[in-house]
Amino acid sequence: MSTVDDLPEAERLEFLQGTLEVLILKCLQMGANHAYGISQLLEQQSGNEFTVDNGSLYPALQRLLQRSWIAAEWKTSPNGRRARYYKLTPAGKKQLAVATSKWQRFALAMGRILAPEA
Amino acid sequence: MWSELFSRLTAVLRRRRPAIHQELDEEIQAHIDLRADDNIASGMSPDEARLEARRHFGNRLLVREQTRESWSFPSFESVLQDLRYGLRSIFRKPAFALAVILTIALGIGANTAIFSVVYAVLLRPLPYPAGERLLVLGESAGKAEGISVTWINFQHWRTENHTFEDMAGYTRADLTMTGQGEAQITHAAQVTAAFFPLTGARTQLGRVFTEDDDRVGAAGTVVLTHEFWNRVFHADPRALEATLMLNGQPYQVIGVLAPAHRVLVSKADYYLALGRTAAKTRDRGAHGSMRVLARMKPGITRAAAQANLDEILKRLALSDPGTEASHRASSEFLTESITGDVQRTLVILMGAAGLLLLIACANVASLLLVRSASRAREMAIRVAIGAGRLRVTRQILTENLTLSALGGVAGIALAVLCLQVLRSLAPSNLPRLAEVELDLPVLGFAAAATLLTGLLAGLAPVLAASKVDVSTALKDGAAGSGQGIGGQRMRSAIVVCEVAITLVLAFASGLLLRSLITAQSADPGFDSRGLLALELQLPSSAYPSIDHTRQFYARLEEDVRRIPGVTAAALVVCPPGAGDCGDWWYSPLDRPAPARNDVPLTLFTSVDPGYFQTMGIRLLAGREFTGQDRKGSSGVTILSDNVARRWWPTAQAALGQRIKFGGPYQEGGVLEVVGVVADVSQNGLDGDRDPQMYFPFAQETSRAAVVMMRTRGDAAALVPAVRQVVAAIDRNLPIQSLAPIEKQLGATLARRKFSTLLLSTFALLAIFLAALGIYGVLNYWVSLRHRELAVRMALGASRMRVTRWAGSYVLRLAAAGVLLGALGSWGASSWLAHMVYGVSSRSLVMLLAAVVVVILVSALAASLPVWRATRVDITSNLREA
Repeated sequence: MSTVDDLPEAERLEFLQGTLEVLILKCLQMGANHAYGISQLLEQQSGNEFTVDNGSLYPALQRLLQRSWIAAEWKTSPNGRRARYYKLTPAGKKQLAVATSKWQRFALAMGRILAPEA
Repeated sequence: MWSELFSRLTAVLRRRRPAIHQELDEEIQAHIDLRADDNIASGMSPDEARLEARRHFGNRLLVREQTRESWSFPSFESVLQDLRYGLRSIFRKPAFALAVILTIALGIGANTAIFSVVYAVLLRPLPYPAGERLLVLGESAGKAEGISVTWINFQHWRTENHTFEDMAGYTRADLTMTGQGEAQITHAAQVTAAFFPLTGARTQLGRVFTEDDDRVGAAGTVVLTHEFWNRVFHADPRALEATLMLNGQPYQVIGVLAPAHRVLVSKADYYLALGRTAAKTRDRGAHGSMRVLARMKPGITRAAAQANLDEILKRLALSDPGTEASHRASSEFLTESITGDVQRTLVILMGAAGLLLLIACANVASLLLVRSASRAREMAIRVAIGAGRLRVTRQILTENLTLSALGGVAGIALAVLCLQVLRSLAPSNLPRLAEVELDLPVLGFAAAATLLTGLLAGLAPVLAASKVDVSTALKDGAAGSGQGIGGQRMRSAIVVCEVAITLVLAFASGLLLRSLITAQSADPGFDSRGLLALELQLPSSAYPSIDHTRQFYARLEEDVRRIPGVTAAALVVCPPGAGDCGDWWYSPLDRPAPARNDVPLTLFTSVDPGYFQTMGIRLLAGREFTGQDRKGSSGVTILSDNVARRWWPTAQAALGQRIKFGGPYQEGGVLEVVGVVADVSQNGLDGDRDPQMYFPFAQETSRAAVVMMRTRGDAAALVPAVRQVVAAIDRNLPIQSLAPIEKQLGATLARRKFSTLLLSTFALLAIFLAALGIYGVLNYWVSLRHRELAVRMALGASRMRVTRWAGSYVLRLAAAGVLLGALGSWGASSWLAHMVYGVSSRSLVMLLAAVVVVILVSALAASLPVWRATRVDITSNLREA
């Protein structure tokens, strides 16, 4: 998974199929961003639990592009660097809403079963 | 996800991928730069910042690869890659590729050509709606199966059954047509109204019969066939208003059929309504020559349908007993009645073609094995670099399949050629021959055969290669995959199989050749040299009475005898070679009357006085017919020897005996036996000698007859003179046929010649391929052992010794192959039993002959490599490589 950081092997969380894409969509909901920004955002927002492997991130971005859930555009960053910015499309917004509700139901159900005996 | 697939496809087709890859590289660079900026901002030096950024990003190349994959079709593209690589290596060795492609083309071509015949004749559904449910119905009386159906029985069957959708009766008749130019004999098919819907016949003009047209008392109507309409009316649509005069009766043309393949009633010019005449009968036992076409309901079996008809007949036997009481139904699928006797022959031919393909496969496998041996090193290197074994195997298989596909395409081209040849050589009486073509099912078969060949042959090197150890293969000068024990054993097995298959084919074709030769020189029972046959059919309009007919023929024979070159002439109604013109029951009166089921049958015909002498048929007892045997005098008959011997100990003892024609239960007169003659084969040179009863032409006259003329010298040269004689007596009389009888007899062997030719061709090709195979394998075996040979010869082995050593290897293989092949031939002999003539299909002599041929061929094929083995250059081979 991640190649750099300080989390020991055993404690890294693996991404399930399709979860990375939902997270990317959620990131982009907060505003258009480039690949580096998305990976930083994911690391920070998850409290450093998730570290994103670029070998997964970039293909995920391509897949989202192919499904037309995000759109890409070359823009200049606040620092003056040229970078490729991604933003949500209306279809992407819809998909995010669907996926979010699904995940919430999933997490709730998992939590109920895995909860310690009351 | 479909939109993903669609985007990928679009990107490939619009060639946007290079741009996408370029953009990706830029994006990755930007990513790293952004991180570097952040690092600088948090205090690192520019160099440190960039280093950290690059390290944090991860393996750039790997990310690039993984991202690029999301725009590709990985499995498909790797197959394409295999294909490209395969084609390149094929073209690097064109001679090898050509050998493989040609061998496969030979096997596939032969099989495709034969299969197209098999498909058209046997497998393709008949061009009738629900053709597979169509039955031909007849009656059976005792031992006689498939005799005609009486009208009243047919009516009961039609209305009282519960297993058929519908039925129609059909029969044929020859009528004289007048009023359209000269009077001519035309051929009619008389059918009931349901015939057209049952056969799915469509009209081009007008309509077909309705039940109203089919009744007694209805006006005469006729439906023309397309060919007849073209020929007589020149495709004029006003034919619908015309009236045809047939046998002096008027018939209104009400329709013209669309052109179609007519299989059921061949030679029919037009259709008449059968019910108009047939329905007049009140006698349930009155047999004409009608048969019934019937379509079963879906899901009914033939046995159930026939049982249903039998029930009806049994009921009728109680309510309307008589001569019909013991008759039952007989039924046969229409497909079988058309193609029945040809089926087994075609299946055998198909089997032979399949065997040829196996040999071709074996040769190709052998070639591929040798080739893979020389590429073992290349494969080992690829495995060592990192290609999985599966990938390497897949690449080999792809390459072999490509070769096979190329061979298959060449094979189809060859098949087209072969079909041209086949169609011109095939006997014209092969049913449905006109439908033979290279259509979709046949092409599908070719594709499947090609795939099978490619897999079979291509798996050999793969299987051999899987035993290779990579490290040994990489060592210098080491033996490769094909050189190891596995490869050698496989090649030996291939040779053994080839020899076995070749033996079976040689045995089969030997049997057929022998049969053909025997059949061609078979004694037909008469002297066929210089016999000229003139076939006539007198129209009833010009010859209304028996006397007219007799006078005409008497005058004709006189005039013909006067032609210089003609030494004798005599009439016969059903000449030898014409097949079955009619059979009837009989019973000798000096025995107790036989039971209904046991009345014997015989063929019958009428002949002139002097006929047997003209034909050269031996008179065994008694006399020929004379002028005294004429209408009004007592009925006489001459028997063939097999009839006489059946009932009486010698031919002589048959003279004077009396026979009731028709047997005790059918109509016919009492006849006295005045002569016995030798048997004659009625069905052609290789046919059986059927029982035959002869009547004097004067007592049983027929308007259709054949004048046989014995000529001195060339029979064909007298044809114009005979024509003139006929024209001098009656200018308008058409001649049905006029040709030396030898030609017609030869034609009866057409089918036998055809299958013999095909099977022999396969055997020859098989011998050729097997010889090539043996040569190749032995050559390779010797070349592998150059070193060993050199050592042996340096140590003192003589040339003789080397020859014996190499020869014993071939001999062992050939012996194993012969053993296997002999077993196979023995097994195949039961299949061939029905095709042989004059020789037993279990002939040991023939088997031995085939074995000798195969061993000779093997020895010949092995001779060159063995000779080369003795010529090995000792010094150059003993030097270190």
